[in-house]
Amino acid sequence: MSKVVEISPTTRHEGHSKLVLKVNDAGIIETGNWCSITPVRGVEKLAVGKTPEQVPKIASRVCGICPIAHTLAATEAMEASIKCEVPKDAKLLRYILQLANRLHSIALHDILILPDFYLPGTETKINPFTAEEPVRTVAKRIQRIREIGQTIGQISGGECIHPSNTRVGGMYRNCSEQAKTKMYDLAKEGLVLAKAQMDLMIAILRNYQAREFVDVGGMKVALPKTLGYHNQGYLATHAFYGSSSLDECPSFDPARFKEVRPWDWYMGEMDVSLEEPRYPVGGTTKVGTKVNPQMEACTGIPMYDGQPVEVGPRARLVVHKNYDEKGTVGQNIAREMEYVDSFYEMLDCIDELNPNGKVLADCVPQGDGSLGWAANEAPRGTDVHFARVKNWKVQYFSMLVPTTWNFATCSAALTGAPWQLAEVIMRGYDPCVSCATHMIVIDEDNRLVAQKLIQ
Amino acid sequence: MLYPEIVIAGCGNPLFADDGFGPAVVEELQKLTLPDNVAIIDAGLGGPHFIFTLLNPEVTKRLVIIDIADFGAEPGSIAKFRVEDLPPGSYRDAHSWDLTEPLQRIKDLIDITVIGCQPGRVTDPEMEIGLSDEVSHAIPGTVRFVLETIGVDYGTTIQCLQEDTQPGAGAETCSSPGKS
Repeated sequence: MSKVVEISPTTRHEGHSKLVLKVNDAGIIETGNWCSITPVRGVEKLAVGKTPEQVPKIASRVCGICPIAHTLAATEAMEASIKCEVPKDAKLLRYILQLANRLHSIALHDILILPDFYLPGTETKINPFTAEEPVRTVAKRIQRIREIGQTIGQISGGECIHPSNTRVGGMYRNCSEQAKTKMYDLAKEGLVLAKAQMDLMIAILRNYQAREFVDVGGMKVALPKTLGYHNQGYLATHAFYGSSSLDECPSFDPARFKEVRPWDWYMGEMDVSLEEPRYPVGGTTKVGTKVNPQMEACTGIPMYDGQPVEVGPRARLVVHKNYDEKGTVGQNIAREMEYVDSFYEMLDCIDELNPNGKVLADCVPQGDGSLGWAANEAPRGTDVHFARVKNWKVQYFSMLVPTTWNFATCSAALTGAPWQLAEVIMRGYDPCVSCATHMIVIDEDNRLVAQKLIQ
Repeated sequence: MLYPEIVIAGCGNPLFADDGFGPAVVEELQKLTLPDNVAIIDAGLGGPHFIFTLLNPEVTKRLVIIDIADFGAEPGSIAKFRVEDLPPGSYRDAHSWDLTEPLQRIKDLIDITVIGCQPGRVTDPEMEIGLSDEVSHAIPGTVRFVLETIGVDYGTTIQCLQEDTQPGAGAETCSSPGKS
């Protein structure tokens, strides 16, 4: 007989989410629901009537982790609506900013997932904050990569958290020749560190994959070879940057996208019937607690070609580089492989950047109300923003953020895994839940059926 | 290094009314010319991820955090806190594996001052842009307090901010009407 276990809140990621898992007698997940419990915020309504310069700044505030992706996607959605092509050097600065953000994010994710894994050749789980070697050296390397990413982002984007250099039509300033040299030197230093970090992480992940059992809070859990496998599709608009409706051949098609209600997708009200106090940190939810993922989930379920898809590093590698490893380990390895790729791409962009080139379009149109969209390949996946601008006022704005795509896909990937490893699967998606919360819902007939605030 | 000797971070979200106090103070501070060893950062919601876990205590000696804080005073009141005064959960880094608070990790190595303003209205989770009048009026005093905290003598500006007037308004040749 099935039992219900709830892990709430989930840890080691941004924002608030939970896992509700229906498991069999052996503790294997039959149905898993991973859902956001961060309240919906309604940035779309706030944007209406603002100028196209204001809205990217508003969009960048919806999340503490992804301001750069949201700034770039929102700015380019405005440009797509008003049909403004930005100069090449502005585009290069944006590429550099984007890649810097991704590098910081991969390094941060390393810290998040390391405690799930073992030091190769030992039975010791990794504590990334320990002062003991060899972990100390690894932690210092991760910090240096984060620092390099943030410094390059600060140079190209003006500020390292909320970039102030981007504007509709290009960038405010190009960088100096000295700043270009500094970025190049930092990227070269980072490439060496990233290569070493990637090799180490892949060794750690392969070591984990080869184990038959792993320890979770003192419980010995059999590790399935198909951990995190799913048969959903992948969506990635570009190997590094993104795409917009201004492109000659856009790689995202809004007509193939639809969003449905969470209450059609998640499980209904149930009582928790399995409790495990040993589960880190602090045990699972107490037996008898009522759970209702249908009503508690704060996101819609986006579909591409009629089904949920995976976005993020593996999707980018599958779609653009013929990568084919499934499962949680494959997903984490794909992210590690993006380290070195991103640094090489960044070096190419810095090389190509002309510090004397213009970075603002000659003409920035006022907009005629056309629908424009921009998809930015944020660290966690495809971040699509839609906009209509007329007479320099935003008439419509919508954000479809990466982790929203992954909620349903990851839920499908939970099936067949021991419930104790559900968070390991979830962390493979590097979730950022706080911004993955909006409730514009379209039904089967493409009608808007709900746009509401929860809580 | 990414961050210099003195770091001033304005924390909060301008989408939730008075929660935008920290970034608003930063906006004012950025108009001033401060020494090269001072970084003024609009941290938004990213303080724990992008600043507090990336500070190098060998370089950064002082951190000033500007934020809203509920300490039961009138809206717009300003207070100074130590890390020990903060309730559990303040500046918790969700990305930290054991949810240890990043400020607790660095407080013995870096001199941390938290300047909190009592908010009048925080609209989370509903979005609303704009500070209440009371909190908005607290900005000049906070700028002055930050400058005093980091030991920057900004000459006449500090004097003017103390009087909550515009620069130059208190000068002999340009006295402000209604002030003696």
